[in-house]
Amino acid sequence: MSISLYPLASLAQIEQTPSRQDGIPPNLEEDLRAYGCKLIHQAGILLKQCVPLPPLIRFVVYRAMYRKQVAVATAQILFQRFWFVTSMKQFGIGDVGMGALYLASKLEECPIRMRDLINVYDLLLQRAAYTTSPKTLKSIEFKYTPMTYFGSSFYDMKDALVVAEMQILKRLGFHVNVVLPYGTLVNYLRVLGLTSKENVCTRAWGYLNDALQTPVYALYAVPTIVCAAILLATRHLRVPLPSQPPNCWWELFDADWEDVWSVCGYIMRLYRDRDPDEQKRLFTMVSKKGVRKWLEDNGPQLVES
Amino acid sequence: MSASASETGTSTPSRKRSRWDTHEDIQDEVIEIPRPKRRSKSRRSQSVSRSHNPTPEPRPQSRVQVQRKRPLHSIYVPPRTYHPPFAPSRSVYCYERLNSIEEGSYGVVFRARDKETGDIVALKKLKLDEEKHGFPITALREINALMVCQHENVVGIREVVVGETLTQVFIVMDFIEHDLKMLLTVMPAPFLQSEIKTLLRQLLSAVAFCHERWILHRDLKTSNLLMNNRGTIKVADFGLARRYGDPVGVGGLTQLVVTLWYRAPEILLGETIYSTAVDMWSVGCIFAELLLKEPLFQAKGEIEMLSMIFKLLGPPTSSTWPDYDKLPLAKTINLPAPHPSQLRQKFPHITNAGVDLLSHMLTYDPEERISAVEALQHPYFKESPFPKHPDLFGSFPSVAAGEKRRKAFDSPTAPVRAVDYKLLTDFDAP
Repeated sequence: MSISLYPLASLAQIEQTPSRQDGIPPNLEEDLRAYGCKLIHQAGILLKQCVPLPPLIRFVVYRAMYRKQVAVATAQILFQRFWFVTSMKQFGIGDVGMGALYLASKLEECPIRMRDLINVYDLLLQRAAYTTSPKTLKSIEFKYTPMTYFGSSFYDMKDALVVAEMQILKRLGFHVNVVLPYGTLVNYLRVLGLTSKENVCTRAWGYLNDALQTPVYALYAVPTIVCAAILLATRHLRVPLPSQPPNCWWELFDADWEDVWSVCGYIMRLYRDRDPDEQKRLFTMVSKKGVRKWLEDNGPQLVES
Repeated sequence: MSASASETGTSTPSRKRSRWDTHEDIQDEVIEIPRPKRRSKSRRSQSVSRSHNPTPEPRPQSRVQVQRKRPLHSIYVPPRTYHPPFAPSRSVYCYERLNSIEEGSYGVVFRARDKETGDIVALKKLKLDEEKHGFPITALREINALMVCQHENVVGIREVVVGETLTQVFIVMDFIEHDLKMLLTVMPAPFLQSEIKTLLRQLLSAVAFCHERWILHRDLKTSNLLMNNRGTIKVADFGLARRYGDPVGVGGLTQLVVTLWYRAPEILLGETIYSTAVDMWSVGCIFAELLLKEPLFQAKGEIEMLSMIFKLLGPPTSSTWPDYDKLPLAKTINLPAPHPSQLRQKFPHITNAGVDLLSHMLTYDPEERISAVEALQHPYFKESPFPKHPDLFGSFPSVAAGEKRRKAFDSPTAPVRAVDYKLLTDFDAP
């Protein structure tokens, strides 16, 4: 039984992630995780693997598109899991993101071509590099220069991709089964009688998608995360639900208030404002080289946990 | 949901408000929840303040109420602690290699001993050399299917271990002594009816379990059914398995699946959208093989295979298979003259219920073919002779473990079996 349950981080893994052990401060790790997931998401859109925010009510119509979105969601969850067993000093978020998306596309039975994926990531990384370069200040427009067909950069990226895919499998012990939250969300909304409120459905769905950029899918069971998305959506839209003990709606779904609240916290933290420097430094840390350079420049920040 | 916003007097007054519940209206009785409330508990809400948001204070009324123990979780939501942590693959050197069992097109299987526990296991080495597309999707499907389908009658996966280089990956499975194909060729007399029922029921429950988890096996055959010395069979080799669902992946499913003798007619006729029914056809072929002690359709090619099927079951008609004409290859096949099914004549010694079950498994129309769950309820399993208890099966020397067949094995065993049989017929009713 236990083997067919999806894995979640243990307490020890949560308390001290490998990146933190290497002196990467928690805030930075969180931002790098989120940025890595954004890259996966953007790559998914460019590869037409993903349709953002399919309206829930027209769920059936959108099932064919949804099929592709699952690969992106799965990749993001695998990506988040990976950083509980590996330090960002050892592998870059760009390479691992690529590996995760490639692996997830196979797991979800919609394989993508390696060359397409590499091209897309090359574009995304060039664009990120452009925003930090002095060209931006001189307002020179971004122009993508494709890789040369027989140049070594393609083969370097290909090797990195294959290694990243294998490392994800190996370091997660081949436990790559992922349970996505969308079906559960539909069921819970039905139970709560909320399916007629399209804005609640869409918004909750959106929170679930945004939560993919946080580690919560590697920390909490799906019902808890779904409850958090519904909680955020209903509170923002001022939809009342029974929330006083002993009648708390989330208890129907076996979720604990503390956990639901904590997931809400993770999601809301995504939306906080970062100063421009904080954002820019992320672009330079997509590869492990960038992370190592940052650690050299700033010195490892060891935080007592 | 016609919550009138004016009734907000009931909202929690003493709760500190967080940023997003400034305007919330909490009402208790407004929403009819169509499920009984399974628990009401009082619990102090210790806020985990990982967020920058203000967290709510403990619920005001909670401490007054009687502390009630929280009921068990729903079976669909196991406690958090049941989820395994992330753990890397162990090294293959945790196992001591004993002997190789077989070499297939797909990889080599070794018998090995766990150095820590002493358990005997089977190690399947995946062929990963010269992969152009990273880790092969077929191996991923196999590992995933095995992990999802943990069942008494499915061979258990223990872990996946790795060697020194990235190309060495081994699936560690429970070691099972025999495969059914080998047994059928070696054993002097066919299985008894009671034994066949037990085996078939085990096979069906495994298949039902896989189908329930959206896994198609796609290569069910006697050589992929392993059997231990305690009368239990285990479905093995998920090398062709994959998840199915709606919609299926790009371009439908491949027709290059299932060993020819066990391949369902819709695959033979080029269908690209098939489902659980293909496994049930294979189960039917296995059932017949257990009865006959040799494979039912031993064809050399696909055309011969189809004509053997048509010969035994009669060619399909518009009533037995309404969609036949829509199949891609239907037009290229010349149907023989119509004649009724020959199943009864082919299997003269089994009961009517047995023939009925077999004919429902070997039904042309995939829509009409019996499902694994339905088959388990079939009267065949409820009539005498009843299924034999697995513990009372005979044991055999294991070829896979390198054991030699003893000479005595060839001597008549019928009397022993007859005694078994009488003892067993009545206390194993399902």
